[in-house]
Amino acid sequence: MTTIIKRNNWAIWRDVIFALFVREIRTSFNDKLGLAWAVVSPLSFIFILSFLRGRMSGADTHTIPTFEFMMYGMLFIQLFLDTFMNSSNSIKKNKALFAFRQVQPISSVLATALFYLLVKIAVYIIILIIMYFIGMDFRVDDPLTILVCGGCLWIISFSLGLTVAIIQCYIPEVAKVQTILVRPLFFISAVFFSLLDIPKEYWHYLDWNPILHSIELTRHAAYSSYSAEGVSEFYLFTTTLVMLFFSMSIYHISWKQAISR
Amino acid sequence: MIRLENITKYYPSALGHQYIFKNVSFDIPSGHNIAILGSNGAGKSTLFRMLAGSEYPNKGRIITDLHLSWPVALTTGIHGQMTGAENARFIGMINGVADLDTYVKRVRHFAELGPKFDLPVMTYSSGMKPRLAFACSIGIDFDVYLIDEVTSVGDANFRNKARQALTQKSKNANVIMVSHEMDELRHFCDSAIVLHQGQLTFYNDLEQGIAQYQAL
Repeated sequence: MTTIIKRNNWAIWRDVIFALFVREIRTSFNDKLGLAWAVVSPLSFIFILSFLRGRMSGADTHTIPTFEFMMYGMLFIQLFLDTFMNSSNSIKKNKALFAFRQVQPISSVLATALFYLLVKIAVYIIILIIMYFIGMDFRVDDPLTILVCGGCLWIISFSLGLTVAIIQCYIPEVAKVQTILVRPLFFISAVFFSLLDIPKEYWHYLDWNPILHSIELTRHAAYSSYSAEGVSEFYLFTTTLVMLFFSMSIYHISWKQAISR
Repeated sequence: MIRLENITKYYPSALGHQYIFKNVSFDIPSGHNIAILGSNGAGKSTLFRMLAGSEYPNKGRIITDLHLSWPVALTTGIHGQMTGAENARFIGMINGVADLDTYVKRVRHFAELGPKFDLPVMTYSSGMKPRLAFACSIGIDFDVYLIDEVTSVGDANFRNKARQALTQKSKNANVIMVSHEMDELRHFCDSAIVLHQGQLTFYNDLEQGIAQYQAL
């Protein structure tokens, strides 16, 4: 007969997240291109845009190669957008699974967010490998800071995604509005420019945005000659913590009702 | 024993909250195979989903130390793009089955889907999907099985098989059952809970419950 392991709550959590993770991979990439597409599609996008920009505006932007300047911007904004959009839809998408008492909404959000984090890490590593093989000069001066900035950005996207996912259960229209709301982020998060390109008196329109902070800090971490002015690690960390706390609180008080409607 | 403590459950609607239960406290005794009786809209399915942990009451809580199944033969958790085997594995993983391979093998054997078991579920005919779902839930040993009109699963052959398997199970485990077929209930159950206007009443004798329900 089937033996059921008596698991503690953490073990249940781990098993469920793993199962959802595998399911996510299995079901979102079901055609012949399969999982490779998850990596190839952002990779080609980053390559094409970065290469064009590199051709247009010369080899260096603020002391770092234009290709890498763009690459970090694109990689990070994609990390944010993909994680945020997909995790905010994941509760609605996996609603049927909450019929199993072990599956809680946060597990499905976490599984989705983890998946996109891994994809972006894979894309980053592949880009570095390609750059190495075609003989492009590149430096990674402070890899730890890059990891921390990426991690913070991921936690921010996950927290926002979780919050919006809960709100979506109460107000389904949010899903439509949110696609419009995130569109400008592509243009105001220092993906194509640096804060240095903007006159100082206009910085306050842009520097509220933690994505911008994380992108600029990452460029500085990769090339210490790149000066990250007007951004601070402290601001990035505080925003991350506040958003995580805020989303956890919202989740904690409302998840049971959110899936019972 | 499953204890309902001060359960309040409503669904929001355009006409205000539609209350299903208001401040209900009730103990569902263990060791009985229980039929849940009630007219349409009395809250049988809601009670069911709350017992299964698929939904939560707005106020109050449900306490139990028993291992309750999800509503047996519920097909919503089955993904169309995954094969039957993958779906079975997924369900096994979530429920903490120790030996997944044996579990999948048992589901394969019970569902009798043949080679289709290794094809995506969306290629199944409409009767095959509930068969898979039923096989998945019967393959796990629960203390209490929650059964919602289960015997409508599949063709006559499979229906017999399902009935036998459930009868077998009900020797060691208990069932809580919703059905409008009184014969079905008489076959599996020995006692009844009648749901009427948000109140639950337990009848130790099934016939007594049925009589009460039909008198409503």
